[in-house]
Formats: sequence, structure tokens, C-alpha cells
Amino acid sequence: MTTRLLKQTTAALICSTLALPAFAEDVTITVWAGGSNDADAYRIEAIKIAADMLEREAAIDGRELSITVEGKRDFGGWEEFKQGVTLAAEAGSAPNIVVTSHLDIAPWSQAGYIVPAEDYLDFDAWPLNDLYPNLLEIAAYNGIQWGLPQDAESRPFFFWKDTMRGVGYSDADIAALPAKIEAGEYTLQNVLQDAKKAVDMGLVEEGYGFYPRPSNGPDYAQFYQSFGGVLEDPETGKLLLDKAAMEAFFQFFVDAVDAGITRKNHLGTDWGQWYSEVANGKAATWHGGTWHYARYTGKEGNEDFFGTIEFSLIPAGNDQGRANTITHPLVYLVTDQENDDHEEIAAQLVKIASEPRLNALHAIKSAHLGISRQQSNIELYSNDRWATEATERLLTTANAQPNNLDYGAYSEAMFKGLEAAWTGVKTPAAAVAELETELSAKLGDNLIVR
Amino acid sequence: MPRFNALGFGFLAPAMIVVTLFFLAPVILTVFFAFTNMSTSTGITGGEYLLTQSSLREVRARSVSEETVQKLESTVYAVDEAGLARLAAARDAATADELAALHGGAEFTSRREMERALKDLRENRIRSTRDRKTLADLFTTSVMDERFQTETEFRTALSAANISEPDQSELVEVAYTGWTWTTENMRLLFSLDSSWRYAANTVFYVVLTLSFNVGFGLFLAISTFYLPAPIANTFRTIWFLPRILPPVLYVLMWYWLTWDTGIISSFMGLFGVSPRNWMLDTATNAWVVIILINGFVGASLGMILFSSAIKTIPDSMLYASEVDGANRWQQIRFIILPQLRWPILFTSSYQTLSLLTSFEYILLATDGGPGGATEVWALAAYHTALNNYGGNLQYGLGAAYALVLVVIGIVTSALYLRFFNFKELVSKPRIEQ
Repeated sequence: MTTRLLKQTTAALICSTLALPAFAEDVTITVWAGGSNDADAYRIEAIKIAADMLEREAAIDGRELSITVEGKRDFGGWEEFKQGVTLAAEAGSAPNIVVTSHLDIAPWSQAGYIVPAEDYLDFDAWPLNDLYPNLLEIAAYNGIQWGLPQDAESRPFFFWKDTMRGVGYSDADIAALPAKIEAGEYTLQNVLQDAKKAVDMGLVEEGYGFYPRPSNGPDYAQFYQSFGGVLEDPETGKLLLDKAAMEAFFQFFVDAVDAGITRKNHLGTDWGQWYSEVANGKAATWHGGTWHYARYTGKEGNEDFFGTIEFSLIPAGNDQGRANTITHPLVYLVTDQENDDHEEIAAQLVKIASEPRLNALHAIKSAHLGISRQQSNIELYSNDRWATEATERLLTTANAQPNNLDYGAYSEAMFKGLEAAWTGVKTPAAAVAELETELSAKLGDNLIVR
Repeated sequence: MPRFNALGFGFLAPAMIVVTLFFLAPVILTVFFAFTNMSTSTGITGGEYLLTQSSLREVRARSVSEETVQKLESTVYAVDEAGLARLAAARDAATADELAALHGGAEFTSRREMERALKDLRENRIRSTRDRKTLADLFTTSVMDERFQTETEFRTALSAANISEPDQSELVEVAYTGWTWTTENMRLLFSLDSSWRYAANTVFYVVLTLSFNVGFGLFLAISTFYLPAPIANTFRTIWFLPRILPPVLYVLMWYWLTWDTGIISSFMGLFGVSPRNWMLDTATNAWVVIILINGFVGASLGMILFSSAIKTIPDSMLYASEVDGANRWQQIRFIILPQLRWPILFTSSYQTLSLLTSFEYILLATDGGPGGATEVWALAAYHTALNNYGGNLQYGLGAAYALVLVVIGIVTSALYLRFFNFKELVSKPRIEQ
């Protein structure tokens, strides 16, 4: 790690190395990708292709550069991956590149595990100047561009068309739903009514009217936003607890349970069971992620996605809220290494891997969304109906969770509160009261309660 | 006079190593971690000095002069004499001259703009992005967003930026990225409502599971005692399965049994009962399942211990009681149970300690749900220290949770040793004296 003083005194030395005669260089670059399965193989493969490109560029420049890329993505889960990266970084043997949640930027940059991408890359130049600015911002923290967005996604609300027809919607009505939701004309209260109808009419079983994600995740913050909640105060950068919005959000899930459209013990449902049920029409409405498309149409065998499922933003909850969706992109981060040259090579590799054509491979294979404007000029991407429609309908309005050191504690506590209300252990008001006490104690000055 | 026995010491060495590695070291580390604010963001091995936009918020909340705050806030890249001289030294005079001609006297508010200025160079083009960035840094004296490895380095930079001595000391505190000693974790722990709930959950869990362990273990031991040996052994082996099965597999079988689509629901469906999740439907369901899951594991150990203890009861006593006309219940009540006093006490005390700290079956089964109803103390420690979707793991606070268990464990162990009169148990048998 170099400090500015060190940089200033050694700048001359660094510059002069360019003048040295070329010598062969063998570099091994390790890439660890969290939360990645076979469909996400291009998170690592793209780096390998980029390495080939960089080697050729170096050769033309008269330098002999040989890069070996070693990838690893078989982690037991996010916890194991994050523990692995932090422990390796503490031991000084961190992988050169990590693919992880953008939420890790705050703690890892503070701990010095990662180095700013902007120390090595020119964001005014191709392909970085073509990345969506809102995605770039998600990979920045404290005004510094720490990483590059690796993919984009967003978390839509889904309707099973047959069930909606059964409830009384015409095909035209269903097609108009996304626009009505965006305009705030169809809200979560309508979801409650329609889902209740579906259950009462026997179109779906009890508990399957609204079938949410079965575990904690960024998705639940969307419902807080639906009721007017704001996660971080833009003025001060402090986290924000809007008690009224939080209570209304908890209340919505309690109402769903009371109406019999969501099961009280829904949280903890097996993911395999969940996927198979929503992909095949067992639930009337649910919410998920854009990458679910690959799972529904692949492993779960839904051969007519667009004929059976409608998708939209998460509807607004009340007048204070708005229809919204959260994007939770993974980012490429370059870690701190003894050898700054290796940091630079890693940075160059993630830059090349962000080229539209290369990123399109990942986007389409894993049903994620693109990261740059020009991606829509790549035929592989533009020919994919899901990528195009989801980008247009969702990504333009998507926001992200804040990169904030305390956001982890905030989101854990929020989910605990939701779980307590949902399962009937506490009333929404009591759950919010406890949430307030807990967050005030843990976050202190970094929390604004409204 | 006992002499030093190297062989004896050699035999003890493995035990000492195990005790040191798996008891002393973790305990010392837990105590140490519990009094720090250690988290992912502070790292474990130490810190550096770094001022960021987030730290400026904290700086403003402290008694730092307005002048200093403004200096920190305004990052200026100035193409001035000093900067150009540094550029000339680092690169060459021609580059510095060209830049002076293009942008001499200019001031930029971000590095990006300074880089753009350097990109304007034509005669002395700087081709490498990395070099351009390094050279851009020559034009500012700002200390923001720069990591300094030592306090001295940081203070030198602050002095170079003309920041007063008292303000420097404040900034040093704010800028330090590593962990610091604190008693805040303990205060937080005892002020949170949730801690008290975890404590109550733990007491509930330990008492009920222990009662089940011992009661059911006793039942199995006594009932198998009266069975013919081959049948008894078969039953004991079956009841020992929960203990020898890998926890993940064992809990998976409970899933199959209890979930909506599981065996109980399917069976109850025959009687018109609508399917439900018998593990997570209500807090009561969850507790019943948790206690049974842990109870069957613990009962099998009790069963083995009690069975062997029963076997040590001289047959003559049982025969004599039968001659006296005692029935089975009277035999159990007046002969077997009194003789099992010590094994029962031992099992209870041993299992109290092990249940206090065990959470793996709860983690696998309910993960503390529904709604935190089965979140016990040890599980809360795990969740705090090692499980956080947002990425900032709270090692210090998690260790504080664990420390409470360590203290309870050590105190109760000491009480048990006294209660069981440990010295007497390990003293030389009188018969050999």
C-alpha cells in the first residue's frame, strides 16, 4: 500500500521503469466470485478472456506478459465467501479480484482490503465511460470509485397471468398492469385484494396469494420504500429509520397473513420448493429477481415465461411511497497486494471484462442485465427479449441500498423486526419500537429517526 | 518426595496441548475480542490513518476548528510552482513546462479534473493511466482519502497542510481505521432488550432440553435393562443413531418429517388436517422440535451412561429384592435410582454446560425462528460475529456475547467441581494405602 508521500518520492522511480528493457513477466491472478453458480461462470471466464487480450496488447507493446487466471466460485454461501475473503486479506493472501456485493465496499475499503479502481483506471475512457452512471455510483463510496459493476439486476414483482385472468382481468388489463403500477394506480393494497380473491375463488391454495422471498435479502427494503421509507439521508449520509413507513411495511405482511394469502411460517421455506412453485403457477403473486428468469425457464421447466408471467416494479404501498425496485449489482473489486503492478494488471482485466460484448456473455447466460449503454447494440443482448424488456421496465428506475458501514446492522435488525411481526411474535408497532431501540443503541449518531 | 517424571509429563502433553488449543486460547481470544470494537471494517491486525467523507461527519461533531474542517473539505489540485517543480523532478522539465504553458496557475477540485489537464499534454504525452494518476497527486497537499501507515506519517502530512496541533490529535483519533479498546460492547449488551430475550430463551431451552435428555435417557436405560440382551442392544443402537448421524443429515430428516410437504402433514392430511409447517408454524412448534432434536441427541448419551451404571449394580441386590417381593417399580425406585444419583448429576451438569453453548442444531433447523423465538444466546453470538448480509461482521460484539457464556461456564464448572468433591474422586483408593 502506498501513501501519497511515498508516491511523491517514488513517482520518478515508477515512471522510469517504463524505460527499462522489456522482460518476461509471469503473473497469476486469482478471482473469487461469491454467490455464483454455473450460470454465472462468466464472472471468471470473462477475466480469462480479458487476460488473453491484455497479453496480446502487451506483446504488441513489446512486453512479454503471461497471465494465469485462477478462479474459485464453489463457496458454501455468502457467509463462507465473505469470511474467506476477509481472512485471506488479513493473512496477506487475498485473491487479486473479488466479485461480491457492493455492500462490502464500505467495510472492506475502510479495512484496507481493497484498492480504488480509480487509482488505475481512466473512467473518461472506453469502456468505462459507457457504464450506466447509476451503477458506477453503486460501486463508489465516500466519493471514490472503488470498483466496477459486474452485472446489474433488479427485483421485480411477478403475477401469474392465468390466476389474474381467473380473478377477472382481461389480457389487456394484465398487460397494462406494469404501467399502472409505475404510475402508482395499482398498489400493494390492490395486491392484497386480488390475492385474496384468488385464494377465496380457489385459484391458488391458502397462503399462495402472495408468496414472498423466503429469506432475508435486499428485496425487503423495497417494501419499506413502497411505503415511503428512505434508507439513507442524502444530505448527511446517515441511515434513516422512518418509523411510519417501517410500521406500514410490517403491517402489510401482517395483513397478508391475516387475509390468508401469505403463510405465517413462510420464511424459511426451502428455496428449491419455492422456485418450483412460483415458476409453475402455484402462487398468484410473488417477488423475485431478474435472474430468476433463467431458473424458471431452465431448471423449473416453464417454457412460456412471457405467456404465463407478468412482471413489474414493486407496487407502491400508500400515497407516501412509490413503485420501486432495488438493484443489487455485484461488483469487481481489486484487492490490496504487496505488488502494485499486480493490482494494476487486475484493474486492467476487470476493465476489459466490462466491454459490452464480454459482459453480454454473462448477462444473457445468467439472465442478468447489462452494465453499459452500448450493450444494447450487441445482438446477443438486444435479441434477448427478457434482457431488453427488463432493462427498460426496471433498471431505469432502480435504486440501490446504501454503501454505509452500518447498513449491515440496519438491514439485519430490519429483517428481524419484519420476521417478528410477520410470525405474530410482536405487533408491527412493538417490532418498530424495538427496532428503534436497537438501532439507536447500535448506530448512535449514524442514525436519523423520523 | 515425588520426583519429576518425564514419562508422566509426556503422557500429559497431548492433553495439555488440546486444553491450550481448544480451551485456553479461545477463552483468551474471546476476552480480548470482547473488549474491542473489532469488526470487518476495523480489520484484525491493526489499522492505518485515513480521512474520508464519512470521517468528516465525525470531525464536525468534535471540537475541531472550522478552519481545519474547511481545509479538509476543499481538496485543491493547484498547478503552482511547487507542484510543477515536483512534476519536473518526478518526470522531466519539458513535461512541467508544457503543463505550465497549458494550465499554469489553474486550480482543480478533483483528481479527475487534474488528470484531464494532464491528458492535454501533447508533446510530452503521459501514456500510462497509472502514471497520470500518480503525477496528478503531485499537485495537491490534501490529506483526504489517503492511507497513512503510521501516526507520525499522518501527523507530518497534517502539519504540511497547516493543521494546528490540537486539531491534529482529534483527527488522529477519527482517522484511525483499526480497532480500539472499549467497554461499549458490554454496555450495549446489557442495554438491549433482545439480550434479555436471548437469555430467557436460553434458560428455557437448557432447562427443558436437559429434563428431556435426562428423563428420556433414564427411561431408555431402565427399560432396556429389563429387556433380553440382544433386543436391548438393538434398541440402544437405534436410539444412538441421532448422536452419530452428521447434524446436517439428522436435521434434514426432521425437515422431511415436519415441513408442509413432510411426513406429519401428509399423514394428518388423511384426517382432513390442512398441511402446515410443524417446525416453524408457531413458537411452540419450533420449541417442541428444537427440544426433541437436541433431546434425542442428548438422551442417547444419557442412555449409555445410565445403562453402564445400572450394570454395575450387583445382581444380588436385585435378586434379594425380588425374594423380598419387590415389583419392578419398587426395584427402580429403591435400588436403581438411588445408585444412579452420581451418573444423573454428572450428566445434568455436563449437559447444562454443553447445551448453554450449543447452537448448531438450532441454526440448522429454525435458525432462531420464527421471529427470533428460538434465538438462544450462543446463536446470537454466532449471528452477530459471523453472519451479516450487509458484510460488516461485528467480531467485538459477538465476542462479548460469547464472553458471558465463558464466564457462566467457568463459574459453574468450578461450582460443580466443588459440589462433586472432585478431590475425593481423584484421590488414591483407600484400599491400596
